[in-house]
Amino acid sequence: MSDPRPGQRFTFDEPPTPADDVSLNGAQVYAPTQASDPYSADDDSPALDAAIEPPRKRRWGLLAIFGGTLALGTIEAAQSLYTSALGGDWLSGAWSMLGLLAVGLAAKALAGEVWRLRQLRRHARLRQQLDDEWIDDTDNARTDPATLADELRSQMGLSRDHPHWQSFLRAHQAHHTAHETRELIAHHILAPRDRAARRLVTRMSGETAVMVAVSPLTLVDMSLMAWRNIAMLDRIAALYGLQLGYASRLKLFREVLRNMAFAGASEMVTDAGMDLLSMNLAAKLSSRAGQGLGAGLLTARLGLRAMRTTRPIAFEPGEQPRLADLRREVWQQLRRLDDTAEKG
Amino acid sequence: MRRQLTHEFQNLIDRSRDRQLRLAVTGLSRAGKTAFLTSLVNQLRHAGIDARLDLLKSAREERLLGAQRVSQPDLGVPRFPYDEAMTSLKSTPPHWPEPTRGISELRLQLRYKTRRARGLLGDTATLTLDLIDYPGEWLLDLPLLEHDFLSWSQAQLESMGPERQRYARTWQDAVATHTADETVDESRLAELAEHYAASLRQAREAGFSHLQPGRFLLPGDLQGAPVLQFFPLPGVTEKDRQTLEALPASSLYQTLKKRFRFYQQHVVKPFYREHFRRFDRQIVLVDVLGALNAGSERFEDLSRALMTLMRSFDYGKRSLLNRLFSPRIDRLAIAATKADHVTPDQHANLVTLLESLLAEPIKDLRYADVPVRAFSLASIQATETREVESDGRRQPALRGHGLDGEPLLVYPGDVPTRLPEPEFWQRQGFAFTAFRPPPFTPAALPHIRMDAALEWLMGDKLR
Repeated sequence: MSDPRPGQRFTFDEPPTPADDVSLNGAQVYAPTQASDPYSADDDSPALDAAIEPPRKRRWGLLAIFGGTLALGTIEAAQSLYTSALGGDWLSGAWSMLGLLAVGLAAKALAGEVWRLRQLRRHARLRQQLDDEWIDDTDNARTDPATLADELRSQMGLSRDHPHWQSFLRAHQAHHTAHETRELIAHHILAPRDRAARRLVTRMSGETAVMVAVSPLTLVDMSLMAWRNIAMLDRIAALYGLQLGYASRLKLFREVLRNMAFAGASEMVTDAGMDLLSMNLAAKLSSRAGQGLGAGLLTARLGLRAMRTTRPIAFEPGEQPRLADLRREVWQQLRRLDDTAEKG
Repeated sequence: MRRQLTHEFQNLIDRSRDRQLRLAVTGLSRAGKTAFLTSLVNQLRHAGIDARLDLLKSAREERLLGAQRVSQPDLGVPRFPYDEAMTSLKSTPPHWPEPTRGISELRLQLRYKTRRARGLLGDTATLTLDLIDYPGEWLLDLPLLEHDFLSWSQAQLESMGPERQRYARTWQDAVATHTADETVDESRLAELAEHYAASLRQAREAGFSHLQPGRFLLPGDLQGAPVLQFFPLPGVTEKDRQTLEALPASSLYQTLKKRFRFYQQHVVKPFYREHFRRFDRQIVLVDVLGALNAGSERFEDLSRALMTLMRSFDYGKRSLLNRLFSPRIDRLAIAATKADHVTPDQHANLVTLLESLLAEPIKDLRYADVPVRAFSLASIQATETREVESDGRRQPALRGHGLDGEPLLVYPGDVPTRLPEPEFWQRQGFAFTAFRPPPFTPAALPHIRMDAALEWLMGDKLR
């Protein structure tokens, strides 16, 4: 049996290799007088916003086709007018005159569309500016609140003598901050329009509900609903001072739909839950009433969304009209219909 | 007795229905408490007729019907001299109401239409608003309750800056000839106390505000009483407590201590108990511009005074139970008064400066989850904002009358967003001019942002 092995000590033949892939920067001293900028950390929220934003499309192709058609049509018609005038062919001359007229009208319509689209964009920009300056930071308004208020007035198409504007002017004082100005604008100028818009939405959604409940044909329902909804959108936009053309209406409609689609999940859950419940209740009356209620509620939601999208200043958390209030009114309309039906 | 019980009971019912509000109008002397209260009564009396209360929601919606002064609950306290204050504003030339020299109370009953009809109760409701006016000097006695004589002496002497000490020189020289253990006779004590009181008075004249005890400045009915004959003892520290406490009752230390305790128990405590314990809302008025005029040491003195002061109030969320039995302040406004003495573009700076002045109390309030908002306000707007052209650019200016009646058109200067370095005062300093009240008209008093402050303080009760 051998002795237990004695302890042994090892030596490091070579020092442990430093992890040379880690490199640390040494200290650096700058002269205190050297120019420096405020440190800015990368903010990722704009990128996120940009990702959610719909891609911005420039319809150059469409514009080129329209513009080209108009330009070529003008040249064509002018040329044929010239030749027919030389040849004394009055009939073809009249036709080319007519063509010129048509081209002119088309150009006017196109210009109108473009102008209204621009108007819509200006509205959105002003809204964004008001949001930034009047809501986010009350004291750091970059622009004088009175100037912005005046811009809003002209955007909404109110004259300087309009009673609402006058009452705002009486209430507004030079020392009011942006936040206070916003409150006064909301009360004196927007509140009457909010009320009118709400009345409109209530009426429209009630009527849609009744109409769908009594209409005999599904196809007619659908087209009626679409037509009424677009008309409602038009009138809400007009209340907040927006004149819509064909393209701008489409754009706004898409915007409203997108807002509806991406509405906050919690809001949707409560709304949808209550909607289902009331539709079930209505279905107890009749299946048509259930359908009617569904259609009415859709119109109401569309209307409220349209109000939110077109109102020049976003609603304060508490003052926003809620779907729950409208639901009751739509429901009452249907009940009335049912009662009369039973009596008759 | 029965009458009082009924009264108490009525109060209890009102409180349980949340139809009563006690508003603490807090401010050191010359912060503008009396002007604020006068203007408040005036605005509410004129509400719905010619008062410009656009930022008060109930008034904007034309639901506020007006207010009436009713007899106050405590008949032993003088009524707030509203009519006297109005008389001084009405006189030609108008002058500011006299500084308050005693406590007074006021009860206002506000009538308003509720937003929704309340069934059988009808659609009008009343809100009772209790207001108290008192000399700002006395307010600084409240923090005294936290101290005993020893710690108070220490705190007093520590908080004296070099400039304060200049005023206290005579007193310090006189008191240095005595030691804590010797027996000092009554007349010498009175003499020393008078030196101390004189130093406080001089410091107040020079614009200091953290001056204790407040009754030394405004004795009220205690003039000449021995309870007002004490002063902090220099040179005592916490280490000497044992030896000092062992001194005989006739020693200087023990005599002063006894009087200090008496002052606490019989002057400060009743004042606190009767008037300051039960508040629901508070507005703290601060004369920021005056402090800026006075210089950096005084500005810090003011900040310290306000910080110690605000510890004397109970803050916190309300529930039904503590609304009835131990009301707390659940909402607070801090206001830089005399905002009409600077041009409107400086108001934002004024508010920022106020917030930095009250930074410490604001932190505590945030911790207690009590909402605070800062305002710049002028209870009675003495100036008119104009625009002048100078050096080729347009610039706002104020038009009004100086205190001596001289017509003025001035740009009073910029307000800094935070306190400048002490050197700044030596270099340039501030000179915000004082204005006299505007000429009287029968309409409501002009004001800046009174309506916003009222909305913040009681808007939620006027629904």
